[in-house]
Amino acid sequence: MRPVSTPPSGHRLTEEQVLLRDTVRELTDARIAPRAADIDRSGEFPEDIRQLLAAQDVLGLPFPEEHGGVGGDLLTVCLAIEQIARACTTSSLILAVQDLGSLPLRLGGTPEQLARWVPDLASGKTLIAFGLTEPEAGSDAAAMRTTAVRDGDTYVINGTKRFITNGSVAGLVTIFAVTAPEAKRHERLSCFLVEVPCDGFRVARLEHKLGIRGSPTAELELTNVRVPAANRIGAEGDGWSLAMRTFERSRPGIAAQAVGIAQGALDAAVEYARQRKQFGRPIGEFQMIQAMLADMDAQVEAARQLLYTACEVIEAGAPDAARWAAMCKLVAGDMAMRVTTDAVQVFGGYGYVDEFPVERMMRDAKITQLYEGTQQIQRLVIARALLGRVSD
Amino acid sequence: MHIVVLTKPVPDPAAAAERLGPDMRLDRAASPAVVNGNDEYALEAALKLVEAHGGEVTLLTMAPPSGADTMRKALAMGATRGVLVTDPALAGSCVRSTDEVLAAALRELTFDLVFSGFDTSDGTAGVVGAAIAARLGLPYLSNAARIEPDPAAGRVRVRRITPTGYDVLEAPMPALVVCTQVLGEPRYPSLKGIMSARSKEIASRSLADLGLDGGTVGGAAATTEVLDSRKPPPRGATTVVRGTAEEGAAAIVTLLASRRLI
Amino acid sequence: MPQFWVVGEPNADGSISKLSTEVATLASTLAAAAGGEATGIVVAATPERAAGELAAFLPRVIAVADPALAGHAWSVPAAEGVAAVLAAEGDTDGTVLLGAGPDGRDLAGTLAALTGRGVLANATAVAWDGRLVVEMGAFGGKLITSSGFTGTGGIVTVRPNMVTAEPLPVAGTVEPRAAAADAALPRVAVVEQVEEAGAAAPIEEARIIVSGGRGIGGPDGFELVRELAGQLGGAVGATRAAVDSGWIPYSQQIGQTGKIVKPNLYLALGISGAIQHKVGMQTAETIVAINRDPDAPIAEFADLLVVGDLFEVGRALMVALRERSG
Repeated sequence: MRPVSTPPSGHRLTEEQVLLRDTVRELTDARIAPRAADIDRSGEFPEDIRQLLAAQDVLGLPFPEEHGGVGGDLLTVCLAIEQIARACTTSSLILAVQDLGSLPLRLGGTPEQLARWVPDLASGKTLIAFGLTEPEAGSDAAAMRTTAVRDGDTYVINGTKRFITNGSVAGLVTIFAVTAPEAKRHERLSCFLVEVPCDGFRVARLEHKLGIRGSPTAELELTNVRVPAANRIGAEGDGWSLAMRTFERSRPGIAAQAVGIAQGALDAAVEYARQRKQFGRPIGEFQMIQAMLADMDAQVEAARQLLYTACEVIEAGAPDAARWAAMCKLVAGDMAMRVTTDAVQVFGGYGYVDEFPVERMMRDAKITQLYEGTQQIQRLVIARALLGRVSD
Repeated sequence: MHIVVLTKPVPDPAAAAERLGPDMRLDRAASPAVVNGNDEYALEAALKLVEAHGGEVTLLTMAPPSGADTMRKALAMGATRGVLVTDPALAGSCVRSTDEVLAAALRELTFDLVFSGFDTSDGTAGVVGAAIAARLGLPYLSNAARIEPDPAAGRVRVRRITPTGYDVLEAPMPALVVCTQVLGEPRYPSLKGIMSARSKEIASRSLADLGLDGGTVGGAAATTEVLDSRKPPPRGATTVVRGTAEEGAAAIVTLLASRRLI
Repeated sequence: MPQFWVVGEPNADGSISKLSTEVATLASTLAAAAGGEATGIVVAATPERAAGELAAFLPRVIAVADPALAGHAWSVPAAEGVAAVLAAEGDTDGTVLLGAGPDGRDLAGTLAALTGRGVLANATAVAWDGRLVVEMGAFGGKLITSSGFTGTGGIVTVRPNMVTAEPLPVAGTVEPRAAAADAALPRVAVVEQVEEAGAAAPIEEARIIVSGGRGIGGPDGFELVRELAGQLGGAVGATRAAVDSGWIPYSQQIGQTGKIVKPNLYLALGISGAIQHKVGMQTAETIVAINRDPDAPIAEFADLLVVGDLFEVGRALMVALRERSG
């Protein structure tokens, strides 16, 4: 019997979800997988993949049909991210960030705002970035220093945003800024859509990174950037709440990315274990290799099922959505790091060189433990849900 | 402009699980079905023409009821609707029945062009298009590398690949064109295409609907029969040579000489 | 008495195609085994030369001259001509044999509709065993089937190189016929014929094929493939990847969506041997692969795999072959 680790099961998925997932999967295998190594090596944003994802409506997945989107639910978006990440983390991030960056708009935007911006986002004509993190405000996002000062019908924004994925290729940036410095910690922030390029907006630098090397991570400088008041999402002071509600729906996307990376590494390791011969036998016949592969498979599937459950629970509007989002990201991110590290081990020395994809997957996996809240922040969120806030 | 594209569900060649059942017919349960690869090229060519000239693309398939599933994928690529000719009596149809049935189904449709793929990956005969054209009295233009309809003049020009280049053929429409891969890679269905395909119409037609008799077409009237099937003999073991380029070349020369190939 | 009809395909220059002569020899063998007759039919604007050449392989050839064929696509009016001959000869149950090339398959389809006969296409072997038994590959060669006609007659298209054409000791006779006046099917005008530079010998009939894949790396790399093919007296083939990259024309593509070949030697350079390519060449008698990757799928079905850089090994092979041919 020739074992098949894929195609994945359709258990618990709707017919529609299986169809969409398999389409993205085929597209990925045919068009994205062959580009993955090059994208990593060149470190250049894969504009061709962005166009492909746009043309195939993949970037339209998170957006409502009435504004030109596909109207996929959270699980469907995650299925797509997972399938792309199997082959190329950078490419999966294009969809994940289109989702992340637009979430405040989708959660808090007025019908006019949705009609104004969503069609170009859904078609992929415009990319959007998510500007929360600052040099001195990472995990402690509420400590941000960027300010937005009201001046008649406009706001004047000043500050620096750091580690902004796709910040240099986006046409829209969701910027969080302090509008009420003296207010309570969680009422100080407001959220704005900044259309770029614009006066005072500058990409100050791009990071050199361990992984997701084709995804531009930008430092953005805003100097007296004027945005119309009509670009404010939600009311003044809603920023913190919008950011937190965003993470409830975006962290599963990162978990999906982690599950996809790990599945890709597992698939590669299984194939290698079948073909690579040492001591006159395929290494897959050795129990020590078998045990690693078995553990990898079980861990991937466990994380995947937690992710799918989280998606369903969050979509259903559970009061502890933040907890589910944090749990699935925590489990999947740590799992991906372990599984990709073990995949490199299965390859031996060949796993350490770029002839095979697993070293790239191991480097890419690390980011899933870091962004959209470090694993430590996820644990904090979960613990707070369990214990309540000890003090605030 | 209205184009009918003939599409056939075939066992997925990539799954490599095709086998015949005890009745010497394809064991459809053993292998997942996909749209025949060369039919996708024909469909792509039709979609491009309709995008340029306006109009609609209708899929025509003769298959068991499960054929509707593979038709959905072709509909997701952008075809407008499908017609599925399905009838228990059609199981075990030979080429002659297939072209007679498809010709009867085409008589019910209006079209400017009928496209077929170069051949099917299961049967590989590639003769059904010519037979349909003859039954319907349509001009037959095969091996198309380029298709240029002129709807105003009611004519179509086709570049037919020849062993040494190509011939430019011209005929009045309606006509039947056999498409090749040179016409261009089939598109992937977009996600919206997939969603919209779920509600597109697939009209089901039985032999009775087409005015045909299960005694004269289909399995009962097959002109050919499979007598026996077997796996091809396994090839001998592979000799692997590693070493310098000269050693590799010498190994090749030795083998070719021993087999009198040089 | 079983009748075997051979449809002769004329080449552009009016000569008979090599494949038709092979089919003629096959038909003669079948007729001898079945105690029947083998007869050729050539339909063309000027069939004389092709019919004369075909008569070297068959005792009787009917030459249908149809001047209206000039300037028109051949297969449909030719099929009508063949059907008219069968009707005139009173044949209702004979077997029509023709080559499985592009024109042959077109003609077979039209003739099937005109005569109501069944079709068995792309035969790899045909035998007489009290009835006609036709061997064909199914599912891209993953299965071999033996089939027959349920009636007594039918149409069989025959792959190249199944038999070697053997002229008869005494050439046959040619019977000229005029075409029937009433063509029922529409004729398609050929408004232009274009010869493309670089079009190579047809690969289906080649006994030796040297083929290049993705590993060739670019159009320039095919120079080595062409040199080797030239040195070995073979034709140039390619994988879909090489064709899709625009390195070589589609006419040379072998595989699922290209041509199916069965040469005596298939020399594969930089070809991994994916299933889509394998189905086009796996029945080659001898398969030799040069590939950098010892684990490439082709290692599972080649007779000889040389692991190494295809350009280095290929050039060394050129040198060795030249030395040998002295």
